[in-house]
Amino acid sequence: MTTYSEHLEHALRGASSSQIGEALRPIKAQLSLPDINRLVNRLRSVVAPVITVKLAIVRTYAVELLRPYWMMESLLQGLDLQIYEAPFGALFEEAGLGAAAFHPDVTYFCLRWEDLDPRFSCAITGLSESEQDDLAESAVEWVFGLLSAFRRSNGGLVVFTLLPSCVDAELGQYDAMAPNSERAFREMTKRRLAKRLKNNLASVYFEDLDMLCESLGRTNLFDMRLWHLSRYPFSTQGALALIGRLISYPVLVKQTRIKVIVLDADNTMWGGILGEDGIDGIAIGPDYPGSVFVSFQRRLLHLQERGILLAICSKNNAKDVANVLRVHPHQVLREKHFAALRVNWEPKTKNLMSIAEELNLGLDSFVFVDDSPHECLQVQEQLPQVLVVQTPSTLVDIPGCLEGLPRLQALSLTQEDKKRTNLYVQEQQRKKLAAASVDHGQYLQSLEMVMSVTFNEAKHVVRIAQLTQKTNQFNLTTHRYLEAEILRMVNDPDYVVADFSLTDVFGESGIVGVAIVSGVLSGIAEVEAFLMSCRVIGRGAETVFLRELMRECVRRGIRHINAQYFPTPKNALVKEFWSQNGFQQNNGVYYAEPVRWSPPVSSLGNITVRGQQ
Amino acid sequence: MDQFSLVQQAIASTFGVDPAEVCLETAQKDIPEWDSVGHLNLMLVLEQTFGLMFDVETMTQLTSVKAILQRMELQ
Repeated sequence: MTTYSEHLEHALRGASSSQIGEALRPIKAQLSLPDINRLVNRLRSVVAPVITVKLAIVRTYAVELLRPYWMMESLLQGLDLQIYEAPFGALFEEAGLGAAAFHPDVTYFCLRWEDLDPRFSCAITGLSESEQDDLAESAVEWVFGLLSAFRRSNGGLVVFTLLPSCVDAELGQYDAMAPNSERAFREMTKRRLAKRLKNNLASVYFEDLDMLCESLGRTNLFDMRLWHLSRYPFSTQGALALIGRLISYPVLVKQTRIKVIVLDADNTMWGGILGEDGIDGIAIGPDYPGSVFVSFQRRLLHLQERGILLAICSKNNAKDVANVLRVHPHQVLREKHFAALRVNWEPKTKNLMSIAEELNLGLDSFVFVDDSPHECLQVQEQLPQVLVVQTPSTLVDIPGCLEGLPRLQALSLTQEDKKRTNLYVQEQQRKKLAAASVDHGQYLQSLEMVMSVTFNEAKHVVRIAQLTQKTNQFNLTTHRYLEAEILRMVNDPDYVVADFSLTDVFGESGIVGVAIVSGVLSGIAEVEAFLMSCRVIGRGAETVFLRELMRECVRRGIRHINAQYFPTPKNALVKEFWSQNGFQQNNGVYYAEPVRWSPPVSSLGNITVRGQQ
Repeated sequence: MDQFSLVQQAIASTFGVDPAEVCLETAQKDIPEWDSVGHLNLMLVLEQTFGLMFDVETMTQLTSVKAILQRMELQ
């Protein structure tokens, strides 16, 4: 299968969004509009998305022609899209009315530089350095004002974009050498804007559309005829690239993020077959085709460094693969980079399920990468929730084969993300210690755990929100919160927002527990959230955390505190949590008086709280 | 398929209408979905289906099936 038509016909025969998406990969960037319409029809007949996502678009240029691209991308991701387009040019008014009233999950601001300040319509290079600085400042503050007003009446995700300039820099080739370089000025302004938004507003993202110019080229991104006819800027190719990026946001909000990449070994991590070619015969190194695989491994390493777990699932002798990981001079990914290894002769589907169990993660957060169409098909059929990527047959396309997957985008990065593989390694060490201990009590003591509790800490907002969204088992209320909501509560004296982290002899676990209490000012409080990562279940941390929370409640003058347990299919293990931890019950509502409350003594001895003896 | 049938198909699929509703006399005013936005969509679909390239002036003039067929005859 080599031609565009062959790939397209194959995609049009797909029976699911993942099959169609996989078949489209080689030709997606070149799709024509009539073919996109045909694909949308096919997708509509085979995909019945149950997840609704509402997008609002606030804009100063035409966006209606983007509809077919939104339709295709959303159906490929299994999403049912509802779009609200604000009246052309309505900005501040929109904050209070139309867009906010629609209650969108994601709001896109599609603006132009000229909207930020009229001075952008004139020659920027004509401005002195201080005038440029003034202009940048004014532009950033204008955007901040617009988005804060919007943020006050809307809790969804906000994505701010600026349309790239449709002409080259005024000074042309000389711009790079000019002291008042236009490109440098725009980059500086964008950097300032991103920083201002990140530091002062929650759940607001700056999507830099200039990157589209870099990947496509300005002349390919724009269709100037359409711009002059209707103020709509994009060519078909441009619109494909744009929506391919913008779809990451609704996917982030509504779909499970990819957390694990499971890799085949032969012809995926290296060229050739280890069992036949031997360690000296496999292709991995500075020369082609080995260079392709080194490149791919480097990309995977970057993903691992930002929190994605890697695993190997290969039909090989375990010793042979372990040897390559240990001693091959050009192998980039070593044993320490992998959170799980399944090198055996079992069916790969069985191994995938076993990896999911070991890592305690759902298969819907897995990507399976393999060169074999047979293996890929089997996984796709038996484990449809796994995203399957068959490595391209053209070797030079392999390194980029995971690029642009919306569910792999890192739209917020926390310290925990960066240390994630390390955390799994630590967990394996703990399991070994547990197996070697006389009893559970001795194991807990040998861990020498120390807990750190913080209250209303703005720096922890991202991680706290992340935990409320991800934690299913040890979760008393299963209320999910966006960063914006957490930030609001952190700064509100009527709320206690508590979090804790644990350190033991094997290392730090990062922030693993959250509690939110409302109604502080009235003295009669309510537990809105109490949850803990399943990573630290079984160590008694929840009781120590509760004790610290109650101490804080006393300190803040709370006389009475109510709590509830909202049952879900996944949180049965905490059904008796409140009654087991010193709360009384009245008609399904639990309560306690912080001053009089005391914890059950048994589990307290093993954890020291930092700052106390 | 002859030229008319191909154009009929392109118009029908762009606007989501029954091909039977598109005849030789059909013009922009006859199809509600054929508004200014829809028109640009149709221009792009015609360009990409038939491998053509329209300039701005031509785009503003191709507002009926007859005009489209006349333009295609020029290729």
